[in-house]
Amino acid sequence: MDMLLEALASLMTFEGLITVLVGVSAGLLIGSLPGLTATMALAVLLPFTFSMEPLQGLMALGAVYMGSIYGGAFTAILINTPGTPSSIATTFDGYPMARQGRAYEALAGATIASVIGGLVGVTFLLLLAPPLARWAVAFGPSEMFWVAMLGLTLVASLSSGSLLKGMIGGCIGMLLSTVGVSPVGGETRFTFGFPPLQGGIELIVALIGLFVIPELLSMAAEGRSNITESAELGKTKVGIRQVARHILGKPVNLIRSCLIGQVIAIIPGAGGNVTSLVAYNEAKRFSKDPQSFGKGNIDGVVASESSNNVMVAGSMIPLLTLGIPGAPPDAIILGVLLMHGLRPGLSLFTESGVLTNGFILSMGLAALMLLPVGLLGARLIHKIVIKTPYHFMVPAIAMVTILGTFALRNSLLDVGIMMIMGIAGFFLRLIGIHAAPIVLGLILGGIAEQGYVQTMLAAVVDPIPWLRLVENPLSKVLAALVLLGAATALLPGWLERSGRLDKGESSRGEDK
Amino acid sequence: MIIRLNTDMAAGAIGLAFAAVLWLGRGDIGRLSILFPRAILVILFVLSLLLFVKGFFRPGGRSIVISGSPWRLLVLILLLLVWWFAIGKLGFMVSSFLIMFFITWFLARVEGPVSWKRLLLWIPIIAVMVGGFYAIFTQVLNVRLPSGLLF
Repeated sequence: MDMLLEALASLMTFEGLITVLVGVSAGLLIGSLPGLTATMALAVLLPFTFSMEPLQGLMALGAVYMGSIYGGAFTAILINTPGTPSSIATTFDGYPMARQGRAYEALAGATIASVIGGLVGVTFLLLLAPPLARWAVAFGPSEMFWVAMLGLTLVASLSSGSLLKGMIGGCIGMLLSTVGVSPVGGETRFTFGFPPLQGGIELIVALIGLFVIPELLSMAAEGRSNITESAELGKTKVGIRQVARHILGKPVNLIRSCLIGQVIAIIPGAGGNVTSLVAYNEAKRFSKDPQSFGKGNIDGVVASESSNNVMVAGSMIPLLTLGIPGAPPDAIILGVLLMHGLRPGLSLFTESGVLTNGFILSMGLAALMLLPVGLLGARLIHKIVIKTPYHFMVPAIAMVTILGTFALRNSLLDVGIMMIMGIAGFFLRLIGIHAAPIVLGLILGGIAEQGYVQTMLAAVVDPIPWLRLVENPLSKVLAALVLLGAATALLPGWLERSGRLDKGESSRGEDK
Repeated sequence: MIIRLNTDMAAGAIGLAFAAVLWLGRGDIGRLSILFPRAILVILFVLSLLLFVKGFFRPGGRSIVISGSPWRLLVLILLLLVWWFAIGKLGFMVSSFLIMFFITWFLARVEGPVSWKRLLLWIPIIAVMVGGFYAIFTQVLNVRLPSGLLF
């Protein structure tokens, strides 16, 4: 409690408030630009935090994350183009509302839902992370190995259409994490006689390359310049108070969407697009008027936006306790934590408790700031989004990306690695190997290697050493969860092939 | 553009090639340091082989789609690599100004021919963008950016 109060005091300074305000505004602007995701917003703005104190840097990035996820709703509502993938479900009802001259109502609904979602996510994070971190101390090397494998299996099955391709991506990432000096043996590996590679592949360099460059290449190839159908942001008869009364008067939709967002946020790799689609689907399913969804029902906007903003703080639970990012943008936050010498786990809540609590509370403050920044800045952001030509946007983002990568270690080689990984990532995506499993493999490689090697060393006299990996009850449970995760990913394909999925779906349809 | 390609076999082949490159490049690494990479290499080999074989019997996809212009895609890839190379030779300021100007012109051509007036207008805009970021990184963030012939 003392740490929480101390963290609150360090947050409520002029410097702290300005940092969060600027972070939310910058995130909102980048998130509202179509094609620029929350991960890109964090990657592009990351170098600006290098000269800051650790808490201030984390506060800025947390605010950018919150702002960019919310910013995606602007273009989703006004031009039917989600600014970030998290806002896909917002377009379903947000754009029809805008076409009916209810753009302000939709934006007000999205804003209120985002604020509440953000605050709920922060509350869950404050309540769940410390006990989970204490519980995580019981994890030995073999448990940590299985935790890494579980994260990888879930990401591989969720982010790719094919489990095999996802697993191959994860293995490639894990092998990339082994380039450089071995953490256990201390020897240099896979440098191919090139000494600068001894430092390994910097996580943030790989993240920037794999998440930003493929998007830039897509934008350039597609010539995304024609934002044609734009809805006007005129003042409507419905004010923010009436929208708030509507949302809070029937809170079931909001509560359900927040809970869905939180549960999915804990699953590594699920991301905001999954949370918002599931929450939207459930809002429609439980609605008394499901026919109105897709035609301008504000409850659809509320479900999508509240769930994806819960995810921002909610997905930090596995990150801060086990070091497993819940969503791709969290990987950047992990990179920043490691850069400042902070390792996920119990120590984050004890030794660095003020910093960690300050970071969590700053996300709550960022959620509150969405209300004034979003509603006051709506018109300005609308103008910028409509008027920024993509032929300026692509080279400008490329330049910031190069600068950010170079600034990490003052290394031009890092810039080259970032570009080559980005170009390779673009072509790998075409054949179904996505960036998320590669990145998670890169992050979890170190955790998995330490767990695996330490377990094998302890089992050196055992007749079958690898059996030590499933010796403890907790290891057995985690190994079973890995198998279950893989089986769940394979199940829909198997059901479809055997014809049972179609039968099931048609019978469900008949029930209705 | 649609390219006919068995995506399962392509992904399997890439996995096998990646595993082969690392396996051949492992040298004489000690037992402790090779323990984990060797296990992952074996898993990667098995998974890639499975995917490759699956591609023969039940391919997941028979084509890939590159949306938009492949020509613009290739030129941007080339320009990014040239940018990286040029930073080391010409310095950040000069190379970034030149490459950004070229990319802006190249991408603006999608909408139609670019007039001289527009090109001249872009010079100060791009100079301010590059100069602004250069100033922020060198003066505020204390990052020493590569210098070359002029800056």
